[in-house]
Amino acid sequence: MSLVLEEVSKTFAGKLAVDNISLTLEKPGVFGLLGTNGAGKTTTIRMLLGIIKKDSGEITWKGKEVDRKNVNFGYLPEERGVYPKTKIVDQLMYFAELKGMNKQEAKKSIAYWAKELKVEEYLLMPAEKLSKGNQQKIQFMTAVIHNPELVVLDEPFSGLDPVNTEILKNIIINLVKQGKYIIMSAHQMATIEEFCSDILILNRGKTVLQGNLKQIKETYPASRVEIDVDTDITSYIKEMNLEIENEVDGKYQIKISNEEVAHELIHTLITKGIKVEKFEIKKPTLNDIFIEKVGE
Amino acid sequence: MKDIITVMKFTIKDMVKRKSFLISTAIILVLIVLGFNVPNIINSFSNEEGAEKILIVDAGNIFEGNLENLPKEDKDYEIAKDNPTFEQIKEKMENGEISSALVIEKEQNAIKIRYIVENTTMMGGVPENLVNAINTLYSNMQISKLGLTQEQLQSITPNFEFSLEQTEEEKANGNIFAMMLMSIVLFYAIYFCAYQVSSSITTEKTSKIMETLVTSTSPTTIVLGKTIGIGIVGLLQMVVIVATALISAKAFLAPELLEAVLDMSSVTPYLGIITIIYFILGYFTYALLYALTGSTVSKPEDIQSANSPVAILAVIGFYLSYFTMMNPTSELNLFASLFPMSSPFCMPFRVMMGLASGTDVLISVAILMVTILIIARIAIKIYSNAILNYGTKMSLKDIMKMYREK
Repeated sequence: MSLVLEEVSKTFAGKLAVDNISLTLEKPGVFGLLGTNGAGKTTTIRMLLGIIKKDSGEITWKGKEVDRKNVNFGYLPEERGVYPKTKIVDQLMYFAELKGMNKQEAKKSIAYWAKELKVEEYLLMPAEKLSKGNQQKIQFMTAVIHNPELVVLDEPFSGLDPVNTEILKNIIINLVKQGKYIIMSAHQMATIEEFCSDILILNRGKTVLQGNLKQIKETYPASRVEIDVDTDITSYIKEMNLEIENEVDGKYQIKISNEEVAHELIHTLITKGIKVEKFEIKKPTLNDIFIEKVGE
Repeated sequence: MKDIITVMKFTIKDMVKRKSFLISTAIILVLIVLGFNVPNIINSFSNEEGAEKILIVDAGNIFEGNLENLPKEDKDYEIAKDNPTFEQIKEKMENGEISSALVIEKEQNAIKIRYIVENTTMMGGVPENLVNAINTLYSNMQISKLGLTQEQLQSITPNFEFSLEQTEEEKANGNIFAMMLMSIVLFYAIYFCAYQVSSSITTEKTSKIMETLVTSTSPTTIVLGKTIGIGIVGLLQMVVIVATALISAKAFLAPELLEAVLDMSSVTPYLGIITIIYFILGYFTYALLYALTGSTVSKPEDIQSANSPVAILAVIGFYLSYFTMMNPTSELNLFASLFPMSSPFCMPFRVMMGLASGTDVLISVAILMVTILIIARIAIKIYSNAILNYGTKMSLKDIMKMYREK
């Protein structure tokens, strides 16, 4: 058991920001922290790293209180920031030294990460000359430059283009392979589904869903059928009292309550002699689960 | 400790690499060198227009050739051999041979002196020394004609000895003007350096780097490292500026002009050390106050209003010492030299004037240090709580609440 949060709460000016949240990271991997804007994700992360004090509860890393001195952690804050007028290499050196590295180690690490993140050409420029996406990559570098065991990434993909998203994804996969513990908050559910084994969904400071993502999904019944056909089947679907979620060019997404309904539907279509090119029963996506849990 | 040095080094490097810093320092130095050259520049202009030469015309041969014995002082004279007319004098001036003319004429029993210049509004002033010298020369000529003995002559020649004394026991040495000037320099040096701390903290807040920073090191380290770093740059800048001023003064100012402004004998190494100590302590007092106010704003446009209480405090401290300097032996000036908000601007000058004993200095330094410790405690605590507040500018009530928060 490496990272443990037990019944942690925080109140700001009488308003409950985080209510009794508990989570554990048992083995290396990516833990997904989900929630709408203002759900308490950033507050949880800030308490976890000791930036703000918790009102109650316990936060420990390998049995010790989480604190700059006890835990070698790296942090990419949601509020992106760089020194606008300072050369990239100078600010990276500064943070590396503050995190206890000597000059040689820092230089080596900067060279390694600059290559990984494809920002070598910007190292001698002041940060204000870089695009937002590149500034974000520089900030990611400050989070991992000192080879931390625990990496906390608050919305790491927001604002990145597809090429840079891909670069960062591969880096995160590599970090997990190296045995890092990663906590990631994100809005993009597809990204979380790709990386995270365990998740926690927050809504207004309260935990609404928590556990292993695969197990969570298994508890949900099939929720939709995807059918590709070459004729209009709207009338058959209406006859069965089913709801069409989406239809484009003969590609139908139909909401179902269970798998039986899907079987009934394919049977009807085949008996009517309709040529079915694709028929797939789908489990709910994380997005569906998220909206069901927090969206009202 | 290692982290404080890292923060300090980064702050220094970041500050001295700024173009704005380099340019403003260079401009100040150039202005100082130019400023001390103003008398020379003015002289070189007036020299171009013609020689600083006065033509002395003894029209009625009143001095019987004795004018040649006139003491040569700051001006060059030319004794006219003949009696030039007004037109001839005018021509000589236009040709640049002379700058002015002194025509001595006898009119019945009186001696009339006419001073002729090109333009009365442009003239530098009546050559009083020369007129006095001519006066004395004439008296001596007349006295010697009376055939007096050496003793008789001495008894009628005035030989006054003049001395200055005061009734108060404390005695102030040195030139008040120079002290006020240096007081202003010290005030601006302390004030602007301290202000840098505030703007540096606000920059870190507005560029949203703060969160990365506080997870890399402690708020105390950031405040102290930053304050020390900016202080070192400010101190070096002040030393360079004062050194340039002193060297320029020695190199470019006429010695008698320099002495009139600044009594160099009162500029001792002891005074230098005292000035540096008070600069450092004064800087820390105001820099930490600025760290406090700087951490409460999150938008650059709020800096001015958040910092104004500190600015008002600094101005009160400065004027308290500045105005009591006119009356340096007053109790109010003594108070100003002990009160922590004004002592950095006041004490170095009491030391320079020879009014402050070693004990006075020690008491004043002790008061300042205690003040700094108290301000540092409060500032670091509020800084730690306020840096992640990205909302609107905090009111005094919010700040008080933040201080009480654990």
